[in-house]
Amino acid sequence: MAADGGSSSVQLPCVFSPKSRQYLAVCAQDGRLRIWNTDSKTLHQEYVPSAHLSATCTCISWGPCRAAKEGPQRKKRKSEAAQVEGKVDLLAMGTAAGTVLIYSTVKGALHCTLDGGHSGGVNCVHWHPEDSLLYSGSDDTNIVEWDLQTGKTRSKWKADRAAVTSLCVSPDGKLLLSAGRIIKMWDLDTKEVYRKFTGHSMVVTTLCFATTRPPDSNGLYFLSGAAHDRLLSVWQVREDGKDKNSVVSFTLTDEPQHIDLVTSSSKEEAVRLAVVCKDGQLHLFEHFLNGPCKKPLSPSCTVQMSDTKESPMPIPLLAAALDADPRSVTLAYGSHLQPVMERVEINTAERHVCLTRDIKTSLSISMETTVSKVKTPLVNAKSKVLVPGLPGHQAPLKGGSQGKEKRKKDANTKEMSIAERLGEIDLSAVSSQKRAAKVEASLQTDNFAVLLVQGLESNDAEILNKVLQTRKEILIKTTVARLPLPAVLPLVEELTKRLQGHPFMAIQMLRWLKAVLTHHTSYLASLPDLVTQLGVLYHMIESRVKMFHKLTKLHGKLHLLMTQVATNDSSNVLSDVDHTAKLVYEEESSDEDEASGDEALPDDESDHWEEEEAMEEDGEERDDEDENPDGRTEPKANGDEDMEHENESEEE
Amino acid sequence: MASFKPTKIPVYPKLGEKITEDTLYWKNYKVPVQIKEFGAVSNIDFSPVAPYNFAVTAFTRIHIYGSFSQEPVKTFTRFKDTAYCGRFRSDGQLLVAGCEDSVVRLFDVSGKVALRMFKGHTKAVHITDFTSDRYQILTGSDDYTCRLWDIPNAVELTSYQEHTDYIRCGVTSKLNRDLFFTGAYDHTLKVFDARTDKSVMSMDHGQPVESLLLYPSEGLLVSAGGRYVKVWDLLKGGQPLVSLKNHHKTITCLALSSNGQRLLSASLDRHVKVYSTTNYKVVHNFDYAAAILSLALAPKDESIVVGMSNSILSIKHRKNPEESKEVTGQQRRRPSYRVFVKGKNYIPKQDDYLVSKSVKQHLAKYDKQLKRFSVSKALDTALETSTRGRKPDIAVAVITELDRRGTLKNALAGRDEEQLSRLLNFLMGNMFDTRFTPILVTAAELILDIYQSVIGQSAVIDRQLIKLQELLEREIDYEKNLLEILGMLDTMFASSLPRKEVPCSGIISGSNGLAQGEASTSRPQLQVT
Repeated sequence: MAADGGSSSVQLPCVFSPKSRQYLAVCAQDGRLRIWNTDSKTLHQEYVPSAHLSATCTCISWGPCRAAKEGPQRKKRKSEAAQVEGKVDLLAMGTAAGTVLIYSTVKGALHCTLDGGHSGGVNCVHWHPEDSLLYSGSDDTNIVEWDLQTGKTRSKWKADRAAVTSLCVSPDGKLLLSAGRIIKMWDLDTKEVYRKFTGHSMVVTTLCFATTRPPDSNGLYFLSGAAHDRLLSVWQVREDGKDKNSVVSFTLTDEPQHIDLVTSSSKEEAVRLAVVCKDGQLHLFEHFLNGPCKKPLSPSCTVQMSDTKESPMPIPLLAAALDADPRSVTLAYGSHLQPVMERVEINTAERHVCLTRDIKTSLSISMETTVSKVKTPLVNAKSKVLVPGLPGHQAPLKGGSQGKEKRKKDANTKEMSIAERLGEIDLSAVSSQKRAAKVEASLQTDNFAVLLVQGLESNDAEILNKVLQTRKEILIKTTVARLPLPAVLPLVEELTKRLQGHPFMAIQMLRWLKAVLTHHTSYLASLPDLVTQLGVLYHMIESRVKMFHKLTKLHGKLHLLMTQVATNDSSNVLSDVDHTAKLVYEEESSDEDEASGDEALPDDESDHWEEEEAMEEDGEERDDEDENPDGRTEPKANGDEDMEHENESEEE
Repeated sequence: MASFKPTKIPVYPKLGEKITEDTLYWKNYKVPVQIKEFGAVSNIDFSPVAPYNFAVTAFTRIHIYGSFSQEPVKTFTRFKDTAYCGRFRSDGQLLVAGCEDSVVRLFDVSGKVALRMFKGHTKAVHITDFTSDRYQILTGSDDYTCRLWDIPNAVELTSYQEHTDYIRCGVTSKLNRDLFFTGAYDHTLKVFDARTDKSVMSMDHGQPVESLLLYPSEGLLVSAGGRYVKVWDLLKGGQPLVSLKNHHKTITCLALSSNGQRLLSASLDRHVKVYSTTNYKVVHNFDYAAAILSLALAPKDESIVVGMSNSILSIKHRKNPEESKEVTGQQRRRPSYRVFVKGKNYIPKQDDYLVSKSVKQHLAKYDKQLKRFSVSKALDTALETSTRGRKPDIAVAVITELDRRGTLKNALAGRDEEQLSRLLNFLMGNMFDTRFTPILVTAAELILDIYQSVIGQSAVIDRQLIKLQELLEREIDYEKNLLEILGMLDTMFASSLPRKEVPCSGIISGSNGLAQGEASTSRPQLQVT
């Protein structure tokens, strides 16, 4: 499979088993290898490498079928019926720590570990189509040839000045393509460079042979794709060596992520190519490889997938495999953690196909059926998945220096900022698949308490603002409830400080203060120096409350006046009906202390008055009065906006 | 004739944070200069000699910056991998740096190529320093060893393998050429004497040690690791003196201010905290944009240089006292000092006849108007100056004065729509400032009384009054809440106090408890006022 060119850690390997396409091997963000059965759409096996967090899997390659050794690996796809059904077994995984793991799907366990070959992370692995040989390219610029019988390196040679990012063995097993930035073709017998191809400006991530003919017949073609490159180049290996430039190029919408092709053995047969790009689109090409073609070729068909919501979001395709039938394609889409596999018939006559799938339901179905079949090695069964692993670190002694340093650096740079974390709390749905595991485990209100403690400890205004400005009553309560006792007094102090600040932020602080006082009553009461601790707060409140009496009086006065104004206006319009109403107000307004009694009145009155206003059309006065009820009713409807509104007026 | 007394503007205590000497001192820096480096800035070191250049180690380079240039004066790029810990020698001539590829390189500050390469470590070297005799180099590495090297011959003198994890920090004594200190991820600090083949002292920090700092007196050693800063007394054999926990993430760097009175710690939580070294309290706090990896102070605290994980180097220079003077000089030329003291020091003789000349009193505009009893105008002027200068206390003082004279009503009366709306705006803006509430409420009541009859005639005023009403509602609501909390506090004080003061009152609980509650409520007032 040529799609394993995962040079960047972002790109997660996702490979179909050769020939029958029975299995899909995916290494997800959590570092686990999952093998899905494409027929039953269920999880076949799950394997957790022992170092799955530190040494992430960077590439996967299926080995050739064991029973069917008669044909080269790529040929097997051509016609299933003609060949003996071979069972796929071995799977090679390259890791960021420089080891290659061989996993057996028949045994459901690790077959062997190949190590000691590379000092840098493995970027690509590729099986020899016939012999039990494995090739791996690494960051340390070497290619290693592994003998699977012995589990040792058979040979190792320096391939490039830079890291080897991609490899491909020719279908006849005689040639090997390797690439960093320059593509080199090696003769596998002599381990010498046969040809060099230059042209890519970025590292080559994908290499794949397109034909099976010998190199001296002008008919050997191969494909290459590079990082950040939206072209897939086709190179012809020519007898005369005049193969400086690529002969054909295919245009894509993004960097190729997974490619699959059906090779042609004769010149009459078109090569069929399926490319899944990083943006999740699938492009299908059909082309006769017969010499150069100047214009870049555009896909014969592009497939996209979207969900069924009202505003459709694209579902990324992960991998695609062509079937023998030219119209059907096996697709894997969705998340790496739970890909959905499906065989679809695609009408290639249309240039653009958009499929809609309800990914939620299909996800949940596959979940239920999988549970019993999961196979996990006992040792790692308890290991908890926390974060996607960072490459490198193994044991403290073994190359540990680099690993640890990297880890430290990464922790610094990749740390989520507080703002991001807070943003995630607000999100109701799990936003990205990548954080899914983390989100459900930790993002609850206790995080708020942790944040608050952190903010109090380091006196970080930013964090404190974020936390203390929450309006959700429940959130405040739970946060205060989970607050450790030593943080209570600092919180009270901080609240005291904030109570002195802006009068209208202070209401918010009161909620917190109440929550603290009610929840930690016994703790606070048990403090020996409570009076000194809370004295400032007490005095502050007292001095403020002193004016309560006067203010309420003023409020009553103003209230009375304003209602009178309103009635006066309406009485100008209507003479006798309002006379009785006026009397009622004078009675009611005498008890000024009853705020609730007062408040009930203006609403009634304004309603009443509005009705009358509707009846009576008075051009001049209407403008004035229309604004009054607006001003009165609006803030009651939404208190939040009203707060800001008044802040502005304060600053004036 | 009694002279006119100008309105006294009371000085109210300012709300918010207290201003101390420290805040003034540490805030007296210019806007930071930010420079983008090639990678995370892992170390910053100031040259100990005159121009006080500083070496910034970031990724595979060491840049030397001049004290005021924003371009590197000098760059060392001869590193095969990430460089670490570029430090100057005490004469500022040589620079030593470790590297991820385990080779230690020694540079001439004016040269480009390494003068010496010290090979021997097997892992990355994170710590390098010169000994005080200038002829030796101390290195500490991830291979758990720390070594001393001879500079002239580039040979290893001694090697100590006592730590059991990566050595990430170390300092040499400035007083004794044989003493040096290392800290490692195995949580220990060790003191070595080059004359012996073992460490002479070992202290347990409890966390992986990230940074070490030696006081100039060298009696105290400060270590940072995890979220703790710890101070150790070396003279008492490594006794822990202080443990500080003021950060919420790992502390990465320590620095001492030039007079040795303030200790600074920088952390991954983006803060730099300044501690007083007498009582180890946090006296100031800086914020930065990203996790801080390195921090250095120029001699005399002329600048604060901070390196962050997002590869930004931030340099803050101290504000120049001369510059601020220049600014004022440009504004206006004041008469010189001699003008004011002219003739003041003349001592009259025995038979001189003294003709007293009344000192001309300088009055503010509103005072002049008050003196002329044009109260409305005085109020207007005061309002204007208050709103323009954002100093509500002037207008409030004038209103208080008017109220005292009993002419507030006159001053408020007889205003047109525009003036009244300005007045109301002021009231709304400041009525709920506790300091001003009493007098402003009086003023508001007066306004209502005066304009009672005309309310409803102007849309603008009506709208403002409604807004005022809403504000009042909100304030009343707020104060109700406050009263509730007051009640809670009362209960709490009441329940907490008897235990302490009256240990024997077990029989009479009901009435006694109440009395105690009252006593306790009155207590905090006394203490605070």
